[in-house]
Amino acid sequence: MPFSYARFVSFRNLVDSEVDTKAERIFLIGENGQGKTNLLEALYYLCYGSSFRGSVDQQIPTAGNQGFGLAAAWNSLGELGEDAGLEDSISIRFDGQIKDIRLNGKALKDRKELVFHNPAVVFCHEDFSFASGDPERRRFFFDQCAGMLYPSYIDSLRSYKRILKQRNAALKESAHDLLDVLDPQLVRFGLALMEERQKLHRRFQAEFPRLYEYVSRLGRPVELAYFPSWQKGMEFDDLVTLLGSRRESEIFYGTTRSGPHRDRWDFTSQEGSFTDRASTGQLRLLSLILRIIQASAVASGEDHDDYGGERKSRWPILLLDDVLLELDVGKRRRFLELLPPPGQGAQAFFTFLPEEPWTEYENGDTIVYRVHNGRFENQKRL
Amino acid sequence: MKAIEDLVSLLTRLPGIGRKSALRMTYYLLKADQGYTQALAERIGSLQGEIHFCSICGSYTEVDPCAVCTGLDRDRRIICVVEQPQDVLTIEASKEYKGLYHVLGGLLSPLDGIGPDKLRIASLVHRVREGRSKENSHDSVSENHKAMVEEVVLATNPTVEGDTTALYIRKVLEREGVRVTRLATGIPVGGDLEYADRLTLARSFRGRMPL
Ligand SMILES: [Zn+2]
Repeated sequence: MPFSYARFVSFRNLVDSEVDTKAERIFLIGENGQGKTNLLEALYYLCYGSSFRGSVDQQIPTAGNQGFGLAAAWNSLGELGEDAGLEDSISIRFDGQIKDIRLNGKALKDRKELVFHNPAVVFCHEDFSFASGDPERRRFFFDQCAGMLYPSYIDSLRSYKRILKQRNAALKESAHDLLDVLDPQLVRFGLALMEERQKLHRRFQAEFPRLYEYVSRLGRPVELAYFPSWQKGMEFDDLVTLLGSRRESEIFYGTTRSGPHRDRWDFTSQEGSFTDRASTGQLRLLSLILRIIQASAVASGEDHDDYGGERKSRWPILLLDDVLLELDVGKRRRFLELLPPPGQGAQAFFTFLPEEPWTEYENGDTIVYRVHNGRFENQKRL
Repeated sequence: MKAIEDLVSLLTRLPGIGRKSALRMTYYLLKADQGYTQALAERIGSLQGEIHFCSICGSYTEVDPCAVCTGLDRDRRIICVVEQPQDVLTIEASKEYKGLYHVLGGLLSPLDGIGPDKLRIASLVHRVREGRSKENSHDSVSENHKAMVEEVVLATNPTVEGDTTALYIRKVLEREGVRVTRLATGIPVGGDLEYADRLTLARSFRGRMPL
């Protein structure tokens, strides 16, 4: 839901200040290294209590400082404007060791509680790895999506990973008696993950081929495939039996060789795997389309399979970091058409290099900042 | 000053005590009444000598066996299995439960090298068996204390390790012909027994589920 302002203290290279963000689109214009991405990182941090760059908190404070602080307010109704009503406030302080996150003044025990309050979707360079093939990165992306859509997913995933570690330790010890009780638990949480991944797959597959073709004009369909490690349709007892029958070989390898941690996601066309043959540009676009579907899925909520619908969409905050740069003019235009139209209460932050034709992307309610040495200079408000 | 520094560094080893709090305590003690500081020092010094583990249930006690294990008002047909001695105090405070206890002394965690042999699981099986075998009458506990154990309530925390331990104990007790239930409803997932309020705890005892 739209931020009305964001404030930061000792955050990376940003000069301590408060930035007005009361607009549907905020453009950050500047050369590299001036602080554009750092602002996106700060906003993301305010949504989730962690960095999207995978940085540890100790790396974030401005040189010479131990900690940092962030604060912001967003409209809890998902609307922009002075009289839109209720605002939620968030503040985060990190003192070098302990992180204190407060929502409306109340301390949160677990970061996880933030996920459903004000989701954000970031489009960045690193997303390329979702497309280019590393199975682990792809699982990371779809896990993130499922975590944003299905409330129990994060708990199931945490539990599954914990049991997996315990089970691997038990395999190394050949502890049959413990494996007897760990196997059913692994299956229980594993099945929960599989079920939600299948749901997620149906949802992405309903949008992906159409949207990818629309922007890419490739002329042949590209589909999203989900290959679970445990065969679809297998039930609890079948899987416990399966794990039992493979136990001796898993003890030999000392690790769990089947289960949702080995699931694969792939992009396929008529010739088989698409990602093996695709060009860099095609892969880049693929990662952008994944993000768009993620954002629209979050906007329409858990039970809506197509976006638009009757229910009022609540778009996540969109953070787009230099992503238009690599698309040609036509693709850029068609990609932007997929973003939420003005007047829907959606908020998007874009970073641009000064030479990009950013004036073409202005969309009514836009604030433009020039970013230089960690300072934000308000160039114009449309 | 060495005396101050030494005390501060000893205090910071206590859970939840940082350097700042340790300093505050030290300065407080420096000014405090001598009777108080001496009583405190003596209590700390004699604590481990006076408090033991109960040889039956594994809970903290001054006399062995503990007051619960020997209590005439306790229901001997039911044993509640907990992770730590402090869990016994938490459940006792709820006043909902009138049975016996068995403290495991931890949870199963192959990752940390904690297998069944590191926990008080064998002694639990022994207690269940002993209560159920009629011919065994040469026991230190007097005759009117004897009753068949009919139910074992597993009150380990609803975490991955708590569940693993509960499932393991259920499996071990399968052969013993005793009803095994799990205390879980009402306690938040991943939550701690220690932090569950009395009402929640009381409710979860009434609503315990067969495992
Ligand atoms: Zn006792």
